[in-house]
This record gives sequence, structure tokens and C-alpha cells, in this order.
Amino acid sequence: MTARSNVNGWAFVAFPLAVIGVFTALPTAAGIILSFFEWDGGAHGRFIGLENYHALLCDDPQFLYALRNTIIFALATVPATTVLAFLLAVALHAQWFVGRTMLRTVFFLPAVISIVAVGFIWRWMLDPQAGLLNAGLRACHADELLGADTPLWLGDTPWALGAIIFVQVWRNLGFCMVLYLAALTQVPRSFYEAASVDGAGSWRAMLHITWPSVRPMTAFLLITGTIWALQVFDLVWVVTGGAEQRYTDVLNAHLYREFAANRLGYSAAVGVFVLVLSAGVTAAQFLWFRTTEGARA
Amino acid sequence: MRIWTRPPWPFRLLVHVVVYATALTMVIPLAWMISTSLKTDQQAISTDITFLPDGGPAAWQWLNYAEAWRQAGLGKFYINSLIVATVVMLLSVLHNALAGFAFAKLRFAGRRLTFTLTIATMLLPMQVYFIFAYVICGWLGYVDSLQALIVPFLAGAFGIFYMRQSIAGVPDSLLDAGRIDGFSDFELFTDVILPSIRPALGALAIFTFMASWNNFFWPLIVIDSERHVTLPLAVARLSAGYYVSSWPVQMAAATIITVPTILVFLAFQRNFVRGLALTGGKG
Repeated sequence: MTARSNVNGWAFVAFPLAVIGVFTALPTAAGIILSFFEWDGGAHGRFIGLENYHALLCDDPQFLYALRNTIIFALATVPATTVLAFLLAVALHAQWFVGRTMLRTVFFLPAVISIVAVGFIWRWMLDPQAGLLNAGLRACHADELLGADTPLWLGDTPWALGAIIFVQVWRNLGFCMVLYLAALTQVPRSFYEAASVDGAGSWRAMLHITWPSVRPMTAFLLITGTIWALQVFDLVWVVTGGAEQRYTDVLNAHLYREFAANRLGYSAAVGVFVLVLSAGVTAAQFLWFRTTEGARA
Repeated sequence: MRIWTRPPWPFRLLVHVVVYATALTMVIPLAWMISTSLKTDQQAISTDITFLPDGGPAAWQWLNYAEAWRQAGLGKFYINSLIVATVVMLLSVLHNALAGFAFAKLRFAGRRLTFTLTIATMLLPMQVYFIFAYVICGWLGYVDSLQALIVPFLAGAFGIFYMRQSIAGVPDSLLDAGRIDGFSDFELFTDVILPSIRPALGALAIFTFMASWNNFFWPLIVIDSERHVTLPLAVARLSAGYYVSSWPVQMAAATIITVPTILVFLAFQRNFVRGLALTGGKG
């Protein structure tokens, strides 16, 4: 390549990288350092080494609940959303699907709504007395299957974690589907022509041509999805009202409460924990995609 | 010409049924939001399920909207949110596409490493960096101003990653043809790359606008004075603290805050669906 493109490359990335550096990378480094301190936001912090981390793992049961819930949340929402989004995208990409343009819009609607509105809507839908879900269950007498009382969906029970997982899938499905749709348009038509010459049915074409062709998008969605799931905050906060519960607390909600209580160092330690967790999972996924990519070639 | 053999009709029927049923799940909560927003408090908590409130449009409780608007003082916050989301959307899509282009198609020293590091910043939880991002905004004089909601979002790792993945799919032969015609890299970007990735640009524009419009956590931290409050903060107050209001009023507020994002989505979505159709036809 010429020297010209060498210079241009940097000219194109300089400003975007500066923004990310100043407002994300630098403050993160400072945040990591903060996690080794005890600091209440006043003039002086005190260096305490690993004490924040020790306290998290040994003296903070609420942290362990939050950790467990966050992991369950990520494991449940990310693969479900990705696979469902792929299947929907394939259906809505097919020429024979009636109303596919309208449905693309419909599926994307939940992703468009403000998280504050999502919180209002689902607290109302899941309200134990007047909520639509319980009213619907009562109307078809399905409430009897669930025992004497319909569950308090957002109370401190495993139901609440299930409800949050459901709302997350509800909210993100359209987003992932739209990205898959864009990827599907880039699959060369000749691939399918070759397959139909070989006599492959549509099901096999989907498994052996479509799915491998959108692999970069799948990798993208799984990786970003996992990162975001591990960092979930807003959704849980607005749906549960930020209550400190055993079944709905997540790492970042715990962190925010510590922050609000001015235990900044401790709160930063929770943040570093989230960071390490997402980095580990992502590195694993990245390597896995790389090695299987190599095996395919 | 058919892309591949159509599946048999029972299968097609099954697919339609499943997809439409799922679509209903998507829509019902939204329909219920609008429905509730037009009811009286008594109608809302009644155990009969009615999607259309009694009595026809004349009897519906349109005043819930005025009430939500008044209680949360939405008028002045609407304009803040609009300015921030529009500026962020236009500039960050441009910056991210430029960077994505460089990472996908240009060769320069340190490209791989820089790209990996950029992607790695996506891992960083806001909750680790917001404390010192706030401090830096303070040094720059941005705290409690709209700049604090705009400048940090003028580029982002997600957008760069997404643009890079999309631009990587543009055939190199197109670029080589342009180079032979004497295009500079910037002209390649504006004349070859941007037209080929229109659907992806539309998608990123929508995502960026929404992310900015709906941002909740950061404005909560960085905005102190009433003047610069954005819509989500204003609406969130309806259910907590000072103003405890009825379900219908809350649903009216939820509807009000949802309308602009749906409009932006519909505006770009047409472009985006047409873009999809075009690429599909040429493919």
C-alpha cells in the first residue's frame, strides 16, 4: 500500500478514537485505580489494597445474589434472543412471507421505546391486581394452575428474574432481527442457486448456507449481547424500582447503590468485577469463533 | 425468479402462525399502554379487559395527556432531548462510518491493534468509568450543560464495530475500480462506500438516536439543574418521589415519550427497507 493511505487511515480514525479515549478509556483506568482505595468523594482517599475485593467476596451476600442473577440473566437472554432473531429474520426475509414489511416494523417497536416507558408498561402489565397478565390468566382460569394466588410477578421470587429476562428478550428481539436482516441481504444469491441445483430443500439451505453466511453477525450479536447483558442496569432498575431483592438484584444495581451511599472505592470494585467478567466471557467467545472459523476454511 | 424452492404450504402456514403470534406479544403491551392512557382511574383498575375504553373517542380521557404533560413539565424537556439526540445521531454515524471504513479497507500501521483496542472498550461498563468521565467533563466545563450529553457520544466502539463489519462486506473490486478512476480515499468513502451500506447506515442512525433519546443513567449523573433535564429523567419522576400519579397518567407520559423515537424509526425505516430491497434485487 502507498504512504498516502497510511496517513489517511489515521486521519479517519483520529477523532473517533480521541472521543473514546478521553471519555471511556482514561476514566476506566482511573476507576480501576479507585477500586484499591477507600474514598467517599471528599478530598482524600485511603489506599487499602485488595480489601474492597475481599469484602465483596466474603462479607457481602447481596453481591453474591447479584452475581448469580446477572449470570443467569446473560445465559438466558443472549442465546434465546440471537436464535429467535435469526429465525424471525429468515422468515421475514423470505419472498413468500405475507406482510413481511409490516412485521419488521412491528418487531422493532419495543426496541424503540424509552427504557422509562418500558418500566412503566411492564410494571403495569404485571401488576398483581389490575395487570393485564393476571387479568388474562383469570379470564381463562389459568390462574388456578399456578396455585391459590397468581404470583406477584415482580416480588422477591424467581418469577421476578424470569419476568426481567422475558422483558429483555421482548425488548431486544427486534434489534437483533434487524441486524440479521441487513446481513441476509448480503448473502450472494448465487449461493442459493447452487444449492437449488444440488436439490437442497429450504430447511437445509437455511442450516447450511444462510446460518454460516451470517456468522460474522452472529459473532457480533453474541459478543455485544453478552457484554450488555452482564452490564444490565436500566431495565432492572425501572422494572423493579431498584429494590434490593435476592432474585432481581444485578451487579450494576448493587454498584449504583454503593455509589449513591458514597462508598466510591467499593462501588468501583464492583465495576471492575463486572469488567473482568465481561472480558473473560468475551475473550472465550472470540477465541471460539476464531478457531471454528479456521476449521471451516 | 425464485431464490430457492418454496417450502410446502403447511410449513409456510405454520411459520406465519408462529411469527404472527410472536408479533402479537410485541404489540399487546404497547396497545395496552395506549388503551390505559385513555381510561379513567376506575376503568384502568377494573378487572374487565377492554382494549377500547367505553364510550367512543369523545368520552376518552384525553386530559390524561395534558395532566402528564403538566405534572412532568414536559414541554421544556422535549426540546433538550431533541437537540441532543439529533446532533449525536448525525455526527456519530459519520464519525463511526469514517473509522469503520479505515479499519475495514485502508492499511495503516497499527490498524489491527488499534481496532482490537477500540472494540475492547465496548467491554468497559459505564459504571466503571462514569465517576471520572464526570470529573473530565468538569475540567472541560461541560458539567450541567447539553455538551456533556453530546460530546462523549460523538463516536462509539459499537458504531465503529458495526460500520466496520458492514463495510467489510463491500467488494474490494468496487474500491479498486474507484482507485483506478483516481478517487481519493475520502471520495471512495463518500461515493462508493456510503451508497453501498445505506441499510446499515439507516440502522445505525436509528440505534444512535434511540440510545441518546433514551439515555437514562448518564444524564442522571451529569445534569443538575432543572434547565437541562432530558425527557426520560422528567418522566421517571412521575412514578417516584414528588409526583405519584395514576396508571393512566403514567401511561400517557409513556406514550408521549415514545412518539418521537417511533417517528424517527418510521422515517428512516422506509429508507432502510427500500435499501434492503435494492441490494436484494442486485445481489
